[in-house]
Parts: sequence; C-alpha cells; structure tokens
Amino acid sequence: MRALKKSINHIVLMGYLLIILFPFLFVIFSSFKLNNSEIALSPFGLPEHFVWDNYVTAWVNAKINVYFLNSLYIAVLSSCVTILIGAMMSFAVTRMRFGKISTLLFQLILLGMLIPNTSLMLPIYLLMQKMNVLNTHLALIIPYVANAIPFTVIIMAQFMKSIPSEIEEAAVVDGLSVGGIFAKMVLPLTIPAIVTVFIVNFLGNWNEFLLSNYFISNDELRTLPTGMVQFRDAYQSNYAQMSAGIVYSVVPVMVIYAVLQKKIIEGVTAGSVKG
Amino acid sequence: MNKAMRNPYIYALFVIPALVLFVMFFIYPLINAVYYSLTNWNGVSDNLKFWGIKNYTKALTDETFWNAVKNNGYFILFSCFIQVPIIVISSLMIANVKRFKSLYKTAVFMPTVMSTAVIGILWGFIYNYDVGLFNKILGFFGAEAIDWLGDPKFAMLSILITNGWQWTGFYIIMVLAAILSIPKDLDEAAEIDGATGYQRAMKITMPLIMPVVSVVIMLSIAGAMKAADIIIVMTKGGPAGSTDVMATYMIKYAITNFKYGYGNAISVIIFVFTMILTVLYQVLIARRSERIEY
Repeated sequence: MRALKKSINHIVLMGYLLIILFPFLFVIFSSFKLNNSEIALSPFGLPEHFVWDNYVTAWVNAKINVYFLNSLYIAVLSSCVTILIGAMMSFAVTRMRFGKISTLLFQLILLGMLIPNTSLMLPIYLLMQKMNVLNTHLALIIPYVANAIPFTVIIMAQFMKSIPSEIEEAAVVDGLSVGGIFAKMVLPLTIPAIVTVFIVNFLGNWNEFLLSNYFISNDELRTLPTGMVQFRDAYQSNYAQMSAGIVYSVVPVMVIYAVLQKKIIEGVTAGSVKG
Repeated sequence: MNKAMRNPYIYALFVIPALVLFVMFFIYPLINAVYYSLTNWNGVSDNLKFWGIKNYTKALTDETFWNAVKNNGYFILFSCFIQVPIIVISSLMIANVKRFKSLYKTAVFMPTVMSTAVIGILWGFIYNYDVGLFNKILGFFGAEAIDWLGDPKFAMLSILITNGWQWTGFYIIMVLAAILSIPKDLDEAAEIDGATGYQRAMKITMPLIMPVVSVVIMLSIAGAMKAADIIIVMTKGGPAGSTDVMATYMIKYAITNFKYGYGNAISVIIFVFTMILTVLYQVLIARRSERIEY
C-alpha cells in the first residue's frame, strides 16, 4: 500500500517535470529543424538532419553576440557595485556602534522591499533623462544597483550580525583601522553571503526586461531579453532560427543554475521570506 | 576599541552611497509620481498645469482602466485558487519521496531563473496557431485549433498559464523549505499513534506551514499587481485590451501616448492598491494564523 502511494507520488511528480521540461525540448528540437514546415509536420519528432545554420544565423545576423556581451557587462558591473555599496551599509549598521540610527536606517531600507517597483518606473525614467544617461548602459546600471540594495543589505546585514564581535577587539589590538577591519576581516568572512547575493542579483539583472526595453533604444546597446524580443519581431516567421535564439539565451542561465542551484535557491528563498 | 567603531565620519561614508541611491530611486520617485499625477504634463514640454485630482477621477471612471484592474484580479484569483493548491500539494509530495528528491527540487525551480522575456517568446511559440505545440495536441485529438494569444477569449488564460508555469516552482521551493524544517519526531509520533498520511498532512504539516503559505499568497498578490513584462512580450495588452493590466495601461499612456501626468496617477493607484491589499490581507487572514514555535 505504502509502496503504491509512493509510486503514485512519483508518477504525478514526473508528470509535473514533463510539463516543465517539454517546452525546452520542443524549442531545442525546433532549433535544429530545416524550416517551418518541418516543425509543423513533426512537432514532437527529432529533427531529420541537424541544421546548425540556424545557430550561425542567430548569433551573427541577429546580433545575439552583441546583446549577450551587453548583458554580461551590465549584469556583472551592477552586481559588483551593489555588493560594494551594500556591504559598506551592512557593515556600518551591524558592526559600528550607532545603535538607534542603525536600526532606523535598516528599517528604512527594508521599506524598499515593499514598494512595487513597476509603479516607480516613470519617475525613474524622468530621473535618468535629467541625468542625461538615457540610452546608455548607465541608464540600466544605476537603477539596477539601487533596486538591488534592499535585498542585498538584508541578506548581508543578517550574515554580518552573526560574526562574533571579538573580531574587532582583536583587530584593534593589531592596530587595524575601521576601514581595515571592514576590508581585511569582515568582508572575507562574509564571502558566503556575498556569493549568494551576487548570483541572485546577477540573474535578476541578466533577466530584467521592463527598464531595458524603455530606457535603451539603440540596438547596439540592448541587453539579451530585449534583443531577443527585437529578434523575434524581425524573424517572426522563421521559427527554427527563433528557436536557436531562444536556446542561446536559455543555455547560459541553465548552466549557471545547474552549477550553483543550491546557492541560488538559498538566496532567493532567504530574500523573499524576510521581505 | 569602542572608539574606533564609533567614528561618525566613517559611518557616514559607509552609509551614504546606499542611502543616496535609496532616496533617489525609492523616496524621490514616489514623491515625484504623486506630484506629476496632479498635473497635465505630457512628459516633454515646459507647459505644465496643476489640475488637482482630475487624473484620478478620469482613471477611476474609465472603463478600459477597470478592465485592466479586472485583469490584475484574474492574476490574483489564478494564483490563489489554482497555483497555491498546486504549490502545496506538489511540495507535500516532494517532501514525501526519498528518491529523486533533489531532482524534483532542482527541476521545478528552473523556469524561475529564466528571463520573463525569453519565457514569453518561448510560450508564444508554443501557442502559435500554425506550428505551436498546443494546437498540434488539439489536432491530434481532432479538435479545432485555437488562436491562443489572438482570441480575446483565450489570451488572458494563456498568459496566466505561462506566468503560472514560470513562478509555481519558486513558491514550491519556499513551501518545501518550510516542510523540511519541521522536526521529524512530530510526524513519527503521529504515525505511531496510527494517523494516516493524509491525516498527518492535514493535521500536522498544514497548520505548521500556514505562515509560509501566507507569505506565498502575499508575494503572489504583490507579483500580480506589478505584472507587466510577460504581457508586453506576449500580447502588448491585446487583442482589444483583453490582456491589459494596470502596469501596461500605465506604460501605454505615459510613454506611448505622452500623457505623463495621467500615467503617474496610475502609478500611484497601483502603489495604493498594492498597499491596501497587503494590509487587508495581513489584518484579515495572516494574523489569524498565529506563528507556531517548535
């Protein structure tokens, strides 16, 4: 009876997995097919001949290579700056002795998690316009950094709080300044939190669509998600090439996820439960 | 040593960058949105007239706006009554199996790490009238093909399914984490007392995970209120406004139609609606399910 129940569990869960994986398989198979009619004739079948040309066309003609590098640059830079600024803030509010002010500042930052960011998109657009950075990468990097700060500070502050305070005592005896304590002692001890925060922010920035769609209009500066939408609109009728484009934008994320899934799940659940 | 850690200059130096960004990107825009929502500004010219709550009355009496609100409502209903049961049942099932547990855990989360834009494109392809997977399946059973994203009757449902596909795994992971943190002896004691698996799930696990389910519902509501990118990628609000939500309505007016003041009024309404829903939910439901310690 028990064994039967377990196998029913597995059958249902396998069905769920299939629903998750099927779209991917469909797109991967389609990306190797010759043309629309081959896709239409055998949507579930393996491709008759593996047509690699679709991938060449998508990478070069559709400028996936350009979008890819833009995304990489923006996501890495924003995530690094966020971590630096977030770590400084977290260090100040958890390790430095300014009790009440720190509590207040921390709660203010927490508030940021509650504000629906879509509703602030228009004023931020205006702000970027005033700063004269619209249609440059900075128009994405600055808001990405700002938007990620609440989550980053919450995770890092929580982690820094758990480091024993004897650290500072020992450091002061050794003649370290506050900056030295931050850079040489607390930051290295915070690496597990830094890694988690970096991955989550990186993925968030890599995937962001709304701001990059409206703040960037120069095709050469587009990120992968908006570039993909452009690409789809241009190659609407060639589903095989479109599939190859989708594969390009899915595979890097899947590889990162496969390698780091434990950290990603940890970070995302921690952030959302606290928020 | 206390002295070193109480240096106000360094403290200021360390908090100012984050604080400046926070004020610039959260506080200032919020005030800014409220200010412009009271004007007729078009977002470009110097011509700005202050006209009170006219934008708000215009929005609240506009049928197409209420249509957008209704679509946000569909998002909320779909997540509360379809997604949440699926999330809870799947989490219980995954917690119950021994083999393949980490496979299930890893796979269900996969769609969540992908870009919404790419998911929108991928599913647009699946919904495609001529070559899409769904119509092929319908054809296999001899049913008529459906124009999933082009037919006002099906467009919203199609988007809800895609959105559900993307986010269900995210919430499963949260609920699963809560289930797995329940001490084993509670369950074992009940089992010795002769409780069936179903009884244990309903009487022990469910009450203990209610706080997390509550968080899941809150997050889905917040998510439903700000949903926009999936719609812009898949239907741009069409056909005939059948998939417009508040956020896409806002973008349409402010950026495409140069009605910046009006768009900002919608921003403020989204903000207020979200806050009201969050507070209402907290007061009416979340508070009743008290925190449980073990």
